[in-house]
Amino acid sequence: MKKEKWNRKHVSLFIVSLLTGFLLIVQTQTVNGQHLYVPAKTISDYEVTIEGERQEVEKLKERLKETKEQMALYEKAAAEEWKLKQEIEQRLREDSELYAMAGGCVAVTGNGVTVTIDDGTRDLEFWEEPNDVLVHDLDLLMVVCELKAAGAEAIAVNGQRIVDVSSISCAGHTVRINGTTSARPFKIQAIGDGARMSAALVGPGGVGSYLADYVLFKVEVEDNLVIPAYTDVRAYESLSSVTAETGEGEGEKN
Amino acid sequence: MKEKKSGVIVIGVLAALIGLVLAIQISTSNVTEVGGLIPMAKVQGLEQKLKQVSAEKEAVTQELLELQEKMDEIESNSIDEDALLKSMSEDLEKYKMSAGVVDVKGPGIIVTIEDPVAAGDGVDDGYSTIMVRYELLLSMVNKMKEAGAEAVSINGNRVVNTTEISLAGNNVNINGTPTAPPYTIKAIGNPDTLEATLNIRYGIVDTMEDYDLRVSIAKQQELEIPRYSGVIKFRYASPAEKE
Repeated sequence: MKKEKWNRKHVSLFIVSLLTGFLLIVQTQTVNGQHLYVPAKTISDYEVTIEGERQEVEKLKERLKETKEQMALYEKAAAEEWKLKQEIEQRLREDSELYAMAGGCVAVTGNGVTVTIDDGTRDLEFWEEPNDVLVHDLDLLMVVCELKAAGAEAIAVNGQRIVDVSSISCAGHTVRINGTTSARPFKIQAIGDGARMSAALVGPGGVGSYLADYVLFKVEVEDNLVIPAYTDVRAYESLSSVTAETGEGEGEKN
Repeated sequence: MKEKKSGVIVIGVLAALIGLVLAIQISTSNVTEVGGLIPMAKVQGLEQKLKQVSAEKEAVTQELLELQEKMDEIESNSIDEDALLKSMSEDLEKYKMSAGVVDVKGPGIIVTIEDPVAAGDGVDDGYSTIMVRYELLLSMVNKMKEAGAEAVSINGNRVVNTTEISLAGNNVNINGTPTAPPYTIKAIGNPDTLEATLNIRYGIVDTMEDYDLRVSIAKQQELEIPRYSGVIKFRYASPAEKE
């Protein structure tokens, strides 16, 4: 009897120590090596960078696919010169059309939204300043940015096409866009998915919902908007193409 | 006696389960939302992954460049002997420049924005200041353009017509690509004008520093800015008829 009891204790103790040992090994195996204090921000920054690079690779692959398709067309036509020329001419025309649109060099038309922003007309609360209910350049920038994020393909503010070199800045009581001065009210036109763009602006947390507390803000979905071309001549002073090494055209180096 | 025996077994099993749960808990909660001690191996793993993806990017870029070179060769033969094609191709180059799909170079400035972890309390919410206040980036790019920048890129993403800077989840998307600090903004233009515009008292650099961001500006005699890396497609817009 006494012997038996001793044995049982022994067995359970044995099992428990076995399991503890097992757990210890599992634990040390998963966390072996040195430890490092790393803030969550650093890890998430890493992950974001990796994800960003991955998406870049996807984009590159898509471009590679397009180039390959074009190459296939050329190879098919390579036997006869006039055919090849035709293919080249077509590519040049299509690309010119595309990039002229992308660069804002031609007027475009399509469905989209018109956003109207004007200075607030309500009475000020006692803690507010007049400045709080006026429209500022950053407000316009944020709205334009939000429209782009919602997939706008062409944008104009008070008739000024927003292109890569466009800036929006307050100049006293007016706003200067593309070097042209205009004043309130501000009319922003954008071509794209109207429902998506208006939802992005006036949805919860949208820039529009925030601005509406201070200034007048109105979004309308509209068909057949026409957005004018960027009219300034792009005279590049500092810029030159990397590939145009041979000194052909493309601006000059200072 | 028998009851006692089964009781010991139950307790033993329970103890083992609790031990297992604890072990799992500890090993998973080591990488928490608020940071903490994590094994070097994990950090190295992330670094490795990043290198891998960068290597793949390099490889695909190389392949694309080679193919484009081949295409240029085929085209240039025909273009050189045909005046119409030649003028078309010159126009195309001009449009491509304005659409930002050409690698460009020139004098300018490089702005680096670092977002150091707040020293001391050690608790952070996993967000970078610059991400929550991404309008600072927007504002800086706007100031650069105002100062006559002819091309701008943020962390290698060329700023074009449709470039957005927007907070998506917990990262800032630029051209649809997730980005994270440190931010490197390159701008081609007059280096002195650019630098002076940003560095004006109570200007954008001052504002950023108020948010504990570290900003440095380097003037460059020559720097390169890559092309817009995406594919441009229009789904809603079409050219307006010329009248």
